[in-house]
Amino acid sequence: METNSIALDDTEGDVVVVLVEGEHDIYTVPTLRDRLEEARGRGGGVVVDLNRATFLDSSVLGALLDARRHAQEAGTGFAVSVGAEVEPGVQRILDITGLVPVLPVVNGREAALAAVRDDQDLSSPG
Amino acid sequence: MTGRPEVRLSMPARAEAIGVVRQALAGMADALAIDPAVLADMKMAVTEACTNVVVHAYAAGDGLRAPAVGDGPLEVELLTDEAALTVAVRDHGSGLDAPGGKAALGLGLPLIAALSDEFEVRAAGDGDGDGGTEVRMRFLYTREADPAEIHPIGETGWEPPVSSG
Repeated sequence: METNSIALDDTEGDVVVVLVEGEHDIYTVPTLRDRLEEARGRGGGVVVDLNRATFLDSSVLGALLDARRHAQEAGTGFAVSVGAEVEPGVQRILDITGLVPVLPVVNGREAALAAVRDDQDLSSPG
Repeated sequence: MTGRPEVRLSMPARAEAIGVVRQALAGMADALAIDPAVLADMKMAVTEACTNVVVHAYAAGDGLRAPAVGDGPLEVELLTDEAALTVAVRDHGSGLDAPGGKAALGLGLPLIAALSDEFEVRAAGDGDGDGGTEVRMRFLYTREADPAEIHPIGETGWEPPVSSG
């Protein structure tokens, strides 16, 4: 059995990475919302890393859209990253809902971290 | 949309049941050598149909937190014919006009339309006072066209929030 875990990685310092692995739907989305809120509580940017996710449903997209909205309201950066090879159970729903440019979804964690840090720079005064 | 019944699952309509349904689909897809892209679409469409049952059929869930206890069954039937796998998702709940949940994004039926080759939603009762709803989705083993291009989500009126700027 694969694990369907959601963990915080704060080794990046100014940006918290929420690492999502395995399959996620309304059963695990309360945990995802808790982790996203915890990440937001750190006060910096947030990257959601879907590199090891294998399946997402629309309730997960709802949680990601809410996290993006919270980040916008707080003036902090937010991005979602996927790996070089994205599982069809992840890519398909992102594609057909048109959410790739919205969230945004970025290829690779490093690029997502850079995008989030750019957002932070733009929104910080001076 | 008929076919030979192969698998019939009946579980309490709780959030944890949906992963079990996906496992059953994966097992069936394996036995039928179904294309991984079709399996991914099947899992997604069927997950949305099952989510509707878990969130709306029996309880006044807000869609943000899954109800702790299901008050009725989630029934899933897999039927095969020579061309397609049909999945029927059924409840014995309050019928078709349940209010939408806050977190559902209103994407359930648009996704089902975009990911299945054919689908219908109908009352599951037989006129014997047993209410409920049935969603039947048909998935061709070999597709001639991408259903997401025939029924794009944007055509349903659903729009993603605007890009950040």
